[in-house]
Amino acid sequence: MSATEHARPMGGPLLDRNMKVLLVLFAVAALVVVYRFATGIGPVSNMTDGYTWGIWEPVNVVVFTGIGAGAFGVGLLCYLLNKGKYHALVRPAVLVGAVSYTLGASSIMFALGRPWNAYWLPYAPYWNLSSALLEVAVCVLAYTIVLWIEVLPSILEGAAASRYPKLQALGASLGPRLQKLMPYVIALAILLPTMHQSSLGGLMLIAGPKIHPLWHNALLPTLFLVSCLSMGYGAVVVLVNLLNVTWKARLDQELVAGMSKVNAGLLILYLVLRLGEVVVHGKLRYLGANFATLLFLFELALFAAPAVMFLLPAVQRDRGRLFGAALLTLAAGAFYRVDTYLTMYRPSGWTDGVANAAGWNYFPSMGEMVVTVGMAAVGIAVFIFISRAFPVVVVDETRASNPSRS
Amino acid sequence: MRISRRDLLKGAVAAGAAAAVSTDAQARAPVPARPNAVGMLFDSTLCVGCRACQQACKAANGLPPDPAHAAGGVYDAPADLNSSTKNVIKLMSEGGQTQFMKQQCMHCVDPSCVSVCMMGALHKEGEGKRSLPGARPEKAGTGIVMYDKALCVGCRYCQIGCAFNVPKFEWRDPLPLIVKCELCRHRGDEKKSGPLAVANPACCEVCPRGAVIYGEREALLAQARARVAARPEAYNAHVYGATEGGGTQVLYLTAKDVAFTQLGLPSLPEESSASFSESVSHAPYLMGVTPVALYAAMAFVIHRNQKRDAHTTGEGQ
Repeated sequence: MSATEHARPMGGPLLDRNMKVLLVLFAVAALVVVYRFATGIGPVSNMTDGYTWGIWEPVNVVVFTGIGAGAFGVGLLCYLLNKGKYHALVRPAVLVGAVSYTLGASSIMFALGRPWNAYWLPYAPYWNLSSALLEVAVCVLAYTIVLWIEVLPSILEGAAASRYPKLQALGASLGPRLQKLMPYVIALAILLPTMHQSSLGGLMLIAGPKIHPLWHNALLPTLFLVSCLSMGYGAVVVLVNLLNVTWKARLDQELVAGMSKVNAGLLILYLVLRLGEVVVHGKLRYLGANFATLLFLFELALFAAPAVMFLLPAVQRDRGRLFGAALLTLAAGAFYRVDTYLTMYRPSGWTDGVANAAGWNYFPSMGEMVVTVGMAAVGIAVFIFISRAFPVVVVDETRASNPSRS
Repeated sequence: MRISRRDLLKGAVAAGAAAAVSTDAQARAPVPARPNAVGMLFDSTLCVGCRACQQACKAANGLPPDPAHAAGGVYDAPADLNSSTKNVIKLMSEGGQTQFMKQQCMHCVDPSCVSVCMMGALHKEGEGKRSLPGARPEKAGTGIVMYDKALCVGCRYCQIGCAFNVPKFEWRDPLPLIVKCELCRHRGDEKKSGPLAVANPACCEVCPRGAVIYGEREALLAQARARVAARPEAYNAHVYGATEGGGTQVLYLTAKDVAFTQLGLPSLPEESSASFSESVSHAPYLMGVTPVALYAAMAFVIHRNQKRDAHTTGEGQ
């Protein structure tokens, strides 16, 4: 019944060519980060007092954690709604979540100007509860720990099955004890992302005068929450497809199609809320022959296209098309996030949908991009390493080539 | 059993929707100006752009010359506020009319930077998470927005929040600070009476034309309105900062045919951004009840689901 029983380590060389490329990309990023700690943030980035967050906050934190929301989404289906059939997706989704949240949290540490003061953040008497960023920081740190606790069963199972008696004993004794605690951990793993994913939208509420009216509204927290779930489900579909191609992991097309129908509902909800807000608050007047309109329509299309595709039987049956639609949901969520935080953000504000004159321009520097790419690379490397060494991925028994280890 | 779970979810969705809709009803009350709030009044019709205030500010705050000057410029003439400039005079010539504009921290009545600051590094005097160590203990009621570097993590959210783009960051320093006007609180002298016991802005002390003056906000607001009333033909009837963004403790007067936007001041609604943001963000939390209730309900449902699974299949998940 329980599909996780069939999860097994993928094995294989830990340092193949792909792995080396990923690690080199990370090494270059690490050099830039070392340089940043020596000289300050200015010399490695194009960030200014106007565009103070550059791409590190919107991409490394907001988009990466959106991709990691698959753990949140699958957990919601599997544990809260008790759809046990999604069980096989839990471990890979949770591992992606743990990795992307770790990337987000560690990216904050070098994006902060004075990270050495961050050790005060867990100290509640200093909390300013009005700050959405405080909520995000505390919740993301807590949730990152929770996600790794959720990964632990795989690690302990791996330990229990290892060759070393001490590890075996450890895995065999800790595993069942952890299992008893899991409901309380999982409840936290649903509550925390509900809070901070909406706060990631709430962060930009206070920047009202600086964000184009088509992107700024009181629904920001709701829209970020809904779109993080759609990104998360999309990411899980993309992931199982990639795992299927690389490791012949089980890909139950009916299962991912079913989850994608849920995703279609989320995408439609997002569209109704976003368009409804624009109509109700009389923002249609901002639409015209301008860049904002083009970008707005492009974003809506990115949300609408996969919503329609997920509902078509022809797409539900077809691996490639469903994979494509899932990729579109990732793009939709990523564009919505980056546009809200950066593309449609103007430090000097907007007048009637037209940006006020300002002395600031921004395009990410080479250093910023290298760091973002390097962080993504190390995330993929960590995922591959853990999947090779520990039972995370569920392999189709009929296609499995190495049954001795299952 | 299935119905109860569905009801739970319906309830959660309904609560979320209600919270989203009812944000106006639960809006956080607007913050009034502190009774002893101090600030400045800048009258652009009096300023001749001598920039004595700029130099006085740098001397009083120990700020280095502008980076552009250090690179070989003849004058220390920053074009804008930056990490070595807390006060700047700008020549604004938008719309044909030239005006001098003085820019520094507005010391908002309900500041965005204070609302967003994670641990209260930026805080109203005496209202932070701790009192800044120093010769003079902080006293609540002045409304001065102060900076406590020991609680600053350098997240720069204040720069995102501030509609006036006042807080600046030391981009080229590995140990950077946020830099902004703190109304020369360190120059206040307790032996003196009135506002000078609280602070003593160097810019106001040195201005040869009285274009910028220091005092209690109430008194400055009354004086600004008196100036407008005395010479309605010379002044824009509005006093900027009386209501903008929830009100500011630095107030502005300008000439009759000049709009405040021509001085580079943003047109802001009466509701402060902080009030809007906090109302929307806090509403669904119901003073912390929602997360606790949600956690308890979810832990219960998940626990029961797992127990039932174990029961029907005779094994743990």
